Amino acid sequence: MFGEQRTRTLLGSADPARELPPESPRLSARELIAWADSTAEPVAARREGRLPRRMVLATGAIAVAAGAVVVLGSPDPPEVELDPADPSGVTAGRVLVPVAYRPGSAEVAAGPRLRALADGLVVAPYENSVGRFTYHHTKVWGDPVMTSPDGRFSVAFARESKVWWTPGGTGRQTTSEGVPEYPDQASRDYWVGLLAVTEAYSIDDLPQPPFDPVLPVDRAGLAGLLKTDLGAGVASVETSRIFGRYAVPRRTRAEILRVLADVPGFQWRGAVTDRAGRDGVAVTFDDRVHGTQHLLIFQARTGELLAWELVTLGPVRMSAYELILATDRTDHVG
Amino acid sequence: MGPPPGRDEGWFTKVYDDHYQQILQYGRRRLADMDAPAELAQEVFAVAWRRRDEVPDRCLPWLYGVSRRLLANHWRARRAAGRQVPITDADVLREPGATGADATVGVADVRAALRSLSDLDQEILRLIGWEELTVAEAAQVLGCSRTTAAVRLHRARGRLIAAMAAPPTPPVPHRRLARS
Repeated sequence: MFGEQRTRTLLGSADPARELPPESPRLSARELIAWADSTAEPVAARREGRLPRRMVLATGAIAVAAGAVVVLGSPDPPEVELDPADPSGVTAGRVLVPVAYRPGSAEVAAGPRLRALADGLVVAPYENSVGRFTYHHTKVWGDPVMTSPDGRFSVAFARESKVWWTPGGTGRQTTSEGVPEYPDQASRDYWVGLLAVTEAYSIDDLPQPPFDPVLPVDRAGLAGLLKTDLGAGVASVETSRIFGRYAVPRRTRAEILRVLADVPGFQWRGAVTDRAGRDGVAVTFDDRVHGTQHLLIFQARTGELLAWELVTLGPVRMSAYELILATDRTDHVG
Repeated sequence: MGPPPGRDEGWFTKVYDDHYQQILQYGRRRLADMDAPAELAQEVFAVAWRRRDEVPDRCLPWLYGVSRRLLANHWRARRAAGRQVPITDADVLREPGATGADATVGVADVRAALRSLSDLDQEILRLIGWEELTVAEAAQVLGCSRTTAAVRLHRARGRLIAAMAAPPTPPVPHRRLARS
């Protein structure tokens, strides 16, 4: 099932530990218990594991009451009001809060709105550019996530990538890693003393993974690419992947919006401002099975995807986001 | 409130005896340092003892989950300290005339292709292919749903096969580590 055996057949011979003999533990169980008991966990680990739910909800309620089109997660200034006595300051990173919607925007089916949006799209700025390379500038947070050994406190570093690629070529990627960002205050409290925060750094010249350089143009092909048969959650992720990789032409953007309009479960959330401060319109999908919410933000006139976000529900906390900061075509790399 | 009844030294000894080798192998597959896998295993079981009230009865996926987090922290600490973690040895492994015990074409190609994938792709493939977990168990390790794990496995296997089929890329002379 799921190709587990095929995977084992494929990888089995490459298992680097396959031929290694068993090795006895260095400590007996009793000695290990004694060592574990005598090894103190970090002090911060004994802090309260999670924010009380009412505090998270209160934060959201304040945001909504403040008037709606609010980005609580804009990169600058930080969302968390820093304690003047906190010596770590901004370099310790911010606590992320989900993008807020307009009050009362819930329970509006997204299908008709997405179709209307698709019908009125204008060309995106990158469609007036020419060049051999497709260029994207993205910012991603939430993968990988570093967690405390007990799994309660999380941190991830936001990565900014600039990618140039051309069909048949290897392309080029520059990735820089910034300060840490946290899903909740308790995680920030835990990690702030443990992380050796360094300057951002970049890794250049990464080879590009192979992928199909041509997007389908027909609705059936796009639905297959978006994996709509697996539901709105997977379709949301795939939408983010497609817009983060291709300079999607207007007609294809419109077809993607129509494909998404036919996927059950999306709710229209109206005008929002994304984490980078850009205006757009949002749809969400509540994945009640997995307790998560996907959010897609589109530019209201061109239909470009500006951002995708994943929020864990109950308690509400950020799980991942991707911002598509720029898309272009160019002859110049770097 | 103490640990549940039965979570005593006898319980721990059985868990330790039953699963130590599997956790050791997990580390051996991911760490080049000879001593590091045993240190990782020791730390994993120390966490299991300290958190014994949270350990499920069928505990192997839980132990792998702890291993994964500790290992991620290990790599992160190295990066924070300014030591770059090699992202891939694919170029070296694909060089004509590469020698060594693993230089047989099949093994080298699979490992090179595997290392060219993202961390998440590599991990789901290793958990299924090497740790021989089911998709449901791998989902528990990765902290996602079974459906998500199944989709990830499907995609990762496709990307692995594509990477194995791709022509060798010229070796990158060096990766620049620029501080901005």
